[in-house]
Amino acid sequence: MTRRPVLRIAPKQWADAWDGLKAISPLMVGSAIFGVAFGALVRDVGIDPWAGFFGTATVVAGASQIAIVEAIRAGAPAIVAILTAVLINARFALYSAALAPAWAGFPLRWRLALAYLMTDQAAVVAMKEADDPDPVRRRWFAMGAALPFVLVWFAGTAIGLILGPVIPDKWQVGFIVPLMFIAVLVPGLRKPAELVTIAVAAAVVLLGRTWPFALNVFFGIVAGMIAGASFEAWQEQRRAAPRPEQEEPA
Amino acid sequence: MTVWLIFLFAALGTYLIRISGVVLLRDPEKIPAPIRRALRMVGPAAMGAIIVNALFLDHGEWRAFGAWHLAAVVAIGVALWRRSQGWSMLAGAVAFAALIASGL
Repeated sequence: MTRRPVLRIAPKQWADAWDGLKAISPLMVGSAIFGVAFGALVRDVGIDPWAGFFGTATVVAGASQIAIVEAIRAGAPAIVAILTAVLINARFALYSAALAPAWAGFPLRWRLALAYLMTDQAAVVAMKEADDPDPVRRRWFAMGAALPFVLVWFAGTAIGLILGPVIPDKWQVGFIVPLMFIAVLVPGLRKPAELVTIAVAAAVVLLGRTWPFALNVFFGIVAGMIAGASFEAWQEQRRAAPRPEQEEPA
Repeated sequence: MTVWLIFLFAALGTYLIRISGVVLLRDPEKIPAPIRRALRMVGPAAMGAIIVNALFLDHGEWRAFGAWHLAAVVAIGVALWRRSQGWSMLAGAVAFAALIASGL
């Protein structure tokens, strides 16, 4: 049996993309449900459904889209709605910087496309393969995770826009957000430095709970990163330093 | 019309943020080592911050203790036990549905 390119994409690249899809697949249901919830919210607030879908197709970031719709519902000035969304999405700058070395060798159109498709989930999944020595595999893996995840988000939004608020409020589908991120984060946790990172991020998020524009989340992330990295550096230093008793003459 | 423009400008701003590292940053190899080390922690930091923000807070107020917290404990427990995203999602969702159905 000869294996031929499908859509001019070679079998190896399909396989790499499939690995990416497999890595993100448990989260796909979450993306769809969250999309339905966003679509329903747009209908509920009375925004033109086409504008709502335009928002999903261009902003591609659920939490910030919900913040925009809530700001519109509250009658906030347009600039406040825009700034809120941009600040909520500031964390993407951190993913983008973190992925920059691994993606540096990709063709420009790949980096532009993968950036458009960047979500928390896809960024974290892409980072899991960031150390793979083959850049072609790295980019097909990243695309295989990012593109289907976003397409499901689009489909969910469309369904929510068409059906409206069919999901009862008492089901509290908002729980899908922490649940999805628990599923991304916890199974891979092994290092003490990661626990320090999470503990400090959590503390800042809770201490800053009254800050506007979700700044508690952004500064929580930054503080967690600095704390975790400092802890890891201290650990390495301690391991590298000779023990006191070894320094003493025999 | 305003709604379209709000989404458009939010999208442009967000896209600029998304390309900031992977397209606009020249020579990512030259990122200083301490910053590189911090950037490697972005996953746990962001996931942890989003989980805690969603789980414990609701529009800046403390979320009343209940189904959210208990179902999260189940999801975390299963995630540590099975080391699997799928089982963690499933267990968390089933636990949450059961807790909500039982009136918690």
